[in-house]
Amino acid sequence: MNGTVQDSDKTRMWYRTAVATAAVAAMFCLAITVFMALNFYKLHVLGPRRENELEALKTKLRSRDDDEKLVEQIRQMDLSIRRTTVRGKDFSVRGGYLLFGSAVVFLVGAKYAGSLRKRMPGPQVSADQRQEQLRQAQRSRWAVTALVLVLGSGAVLLALTPVVNFSGTSAEVRPYPSEEEVQANWPCFRGPAGSGVSAYANVPSKWDPNTGEGILWKSKVPLPGHNSPIVWGDRVFVSGATKDTREVYCYDALSGALLWTGTVAGSAPKDAEPLEIMEDTGYAAPTMATDGRRTYALFPTGDVGCFDFDGKQVWARNLGIPDSPYGYASSLAIYRNFLLIQYDQGGIEDEKSKVIALDVFSGRTLWETKRPVGSSWASPIVARIDGEYQFITCADPWVIAYDPTNGAELWRVKCLSGDVAPSPIYSGGFVFAIEPYMRLVAIKPQGRGDITETGITWGVEDPAPDICSPVSNGELVYMLTTEGFLCCYQASDGSRVFEKELEMMFLASPSIADDRMYLLSRKGVMLISEVGPEYKELARCALGEKCLASPAFADGRIYIRAVEHLYCIGEPSPGEPVQDTDG
Amino acid sequence: MVRLGFLIVSVALLLSLCDGASGVERFPPPEFESGYELPSPTTPSPRQDIYEYVDTIVLLLALVVGSYLVLKKRSRSAIFALMIFSLLYFGFWRHGCICSIGAIQNVTLSIFDHSYAIPVTVVLFFLLPLVFTLFFGRVFCAAVCPLGAMQDFVLLKPVSVPVWLENGLRLFAYVYLGFAILFAATGSAFIICRYDPFVSFFRLGGNINILIFGACVLLVAVFVGRPYCRFLCPYGVILRQFSRISRRRVRIAPDECIHCKLCADACPFGAIREPTAEWTGRDYIVAKKRLAFLLVLLPVLILAGGWAGAKINNVTARMHPMVRLAERVYLEDTGEVEGTTDPSTAFRTTGRETEDLYAEASQIREKFGFGGWLLGGFVGLVVGLKLVGLSVRRTRTDYEADRASCLACGRCFEYCPQEHARRKKSEQAFDQKR
Repeated sequence: MNGTVQDSDKTRMWYRTAVATAAVAAMFCLAITVFMALNFYKLHVLGPRRENELEALKTKLRSRDDDEKLVEQIRQMDLSIRRTTVRGKDFSVRGGYLLFGSAVVFLVGAKYAGSLRKRMPGPQVSADQRQEQLRQAQRSRWAVTALVLVLGSGAVLLALTPVVNFSGTSAEVRPYPSEEEVQANWPCFRGPAGSGVSAYANVPSKWDPNTGEGILWKSKVPLPGHNSPIVWGDRVFVSGATKDTREVYCYDALSGALLWTGTVAGSAPKDAEPLEIMEDTGYAAPTMATDGRRTYALFPTGDVGCFDFDGKQVWARNLGIPDSPYGYASSLAIYRNFLLIQYDQGGIEDEKSKVIALDVFSGRTLWETKRPVGSSWASPIVARIDGEYQFITCADPWVIAYDPTNGAELWRVKCLSGDVAPSPIYSGGFVFAIEPYMRLVAIKPQGRGDITETGITWGVEDPAPDICSPVSNGELVYMLTTEGFLCCYQASDGSRVFEKELEMMFLASPSIADDRMYLLSRKGVMLISEVGPEYKELARCALGEKCLASPAFADGRIYIRAVEHLYCIGEPSPGEPVQDTDG
Repeated sequence: MVRLGFLIVSVALLLSLCDGASGVERFPPPEFESGYELPSPTTPSPRQDIYEYVDTIVLLLALVVGSYLVLKKRSRSAIFALMIFSLLYFGFWRHGCICSIGAIQNVTLSIFDHSYAIPVTVVLFFLLPLVFTLFFGRVFCAAVCPLGAMQDFVLLKPVSVPVWLENGLRLFAYVYLGFAILFAATGSAFIICRYDPFVSFFRLGGNINILIFGACVLLVAVFVGRPYCRFLCPYGVILRQFSRISRRRVRIAPDECIHCKLCADACPFGAIREPTAEWTGRDYIVAKKRLAFLLVLLPVLILAGGWAGAKINNVTARMHPMVRLAERVYLEDTGEVEGTTDPSTAFRTTGRETEDLYAEASQIREKFGFGGWLLGGFVGLVVGLKLVGLSVRRTRTDYEADRASCLACGRCFEYCPQEHARRKKSEQAFDQKR
């Protein structure tokens, strides 16, 4: 009897000890939890706020390179954030172990306490075992049936969930246009592949602004810009900008009505150095690009904007203000879902130049490749060569081709110098590039790496243009200088075919439609001549307004951007009135 | 007090692991222009192969010892000790991987995808518990599985789950198994691993949603014995079938059952079956009619299940990353969603045609259509057989551990008066010998 009492006392003592241990462990857990919750708050709530502050300071630094005080502030803040983060993470790991240990202690204590206070089993015997077992079996069947209903309902709900029907894929929902669609439109600077060659033969060759003959409509462009119009279906796009405002305009190709205006807000730092751009370049020199789904605009401030065809901004971002003397002017190119940008800036030794591909859907950078060139003003082209697409760029001193899908360099040729503004073209199996004032070079775009030795098929050292790009029908290649000196060569060997002094100033690049060449002078006079072994002028049509941009060609139409107006040249359809939306 | 304490500990553990879980984000390198060169990242060398074989040997030994403890030694304390060892070794030391439960998926994938090379240790982890179950019952569940051990360890206040509810909930494990095999066979996902509720605890970090799920399971496991093992474990489903035909199994009473019902009261897993009562003649007639109806219903359930499974193929196929990518790309292209995701951006960088992607996704959907038929048919079969099983009279004269459900934990031995008598006799015989 005495022994039983002692056992009972001992058990009670152990029970109390176990409960106390479990309680202390639970309290310890609670205390650790509070500390860890605070640590979590510090790491994941306060941390990001401080990182945002740091980012703001870094952004500020971009416009104040020489602010040593700011640099020091950034360093201190960066160090502080890292220190806090590392310590916080260290604490969370140690805290996790402490919690785990205390949880084990609690469980051991609780289980031991439970084993000391075991409840005596008290099995209940059913009065009618048969009935009880039958009832249990019946309820079980119902439970299984209920589960079937639950599963069935779940299946119905899942079956009703909207699903994507891939078989419904049509041209309308293709993410990017087919080759045929591109050829039928004028999606970027100088049209498909930047060649300046129209796929249409019915392009007008006669108009008169005084009588209105041949001019379908004329619309005012609100803000200035030297970029060329681009055309997709019944939409014509141009951009315009001043120092503070950047706008995209969409015109109805049928009526010339301004359908919408999109604004690209600048996201450069407010305290950044004011951007000084030459008047000849202007604040909207790069020509836009479109894929028939969205349209894209780039401005010399580094702002890129994307709009859908209804004028809704899809995305916008800033690439950083390019360090470009005279102002940035390269136009956009587009290949499938890659919006391609030749972002040349600074000198060769500055290593600032790069080519960038942005995702047309989101504006995110898909790839970026640094390039060993200085500032340039030429526009890149995307050409299909031997079944593969090449993204071809010109800048001092290299002509470089890239794989448009990943930015990998394919080949390069060292043949350029100076301020390169004429864009390359691909025609007749050659890439034609112009070294300003110096020469025209024909490159066989085959091989990999530096193909300077093997790639240059021929080069002619004639007065070469400093702005206008060449044009070719595959047999003959033409180049036109700013001063109006037109030269024609055999594309195959570079032998000169003819030369002609046109005695006009030209900034717009020459274009070809069918067997006619279109040369738009600075004064707005379009010289239309035969494409052939000799210069034969077919027509001369004055627009009556200064023109700096290259024209765009469409089915039976030419779109010309003059300094203040956008013109549509073409024959009206029967019953279609000539419109002047100038106001 | 103990319950309150448990709640505190659970919440505390959960929060701590959340903290650790989100701590895996990348921290950008410093941007100082000090000339400091960042060291290039190194890849940790893979774990040596020898440890895989060590794991297999440990598994084999644990199964051997477990079988001995369950069938010969009949000691709950020893089984508990082995269980703790397994929890520490396979759980916290090996971080819950490799595990027999997840091995189902590797084996499935190796069957359907011949390019997938399955390690021999994974095969052994899958097979060894099955072989032991075939001979000795569910000793793997009893003391070797770290997931079971984790739940058993936190079981403080067991409550009995009504039989009808147990019968209903148990079917979820079959459905889970079906989906796990479907997703593994199509190369979509290893959902058993992805939704392993305890791996985050074993690794002291992981996905926040899984942590919450694991904490919920553990919280339930305080009151309901091994909820994951009984109602969700897909490997348990296979072990149940093997255990039904096992050569040896747990016997509650060492010899004669005295119908004290203490074992049924002691079992926290509802695995003890009581002696069956005699039926009346009317009971038999009703049961026969019901059985006939259910046997006719069985093919209907299989077909209906198969049809329903095939109908949801477009949804289940979303488990496959290629289908998800194709849908995302399609929605982006049609302007139904704004922005892009990392996978869609990566896809576009490849320059691959979207039509190719759609075609591949459509093929995968078709596979899911066929797989859905099999999965639905399987679920229909399971439900039908379960209903049939619940309508057939079993004959039992003693309290018995259910062959399929018994986890061989050894609790019932401790409560059996006959077992106590046996032990006493053994001790006396031992003393006399001495």
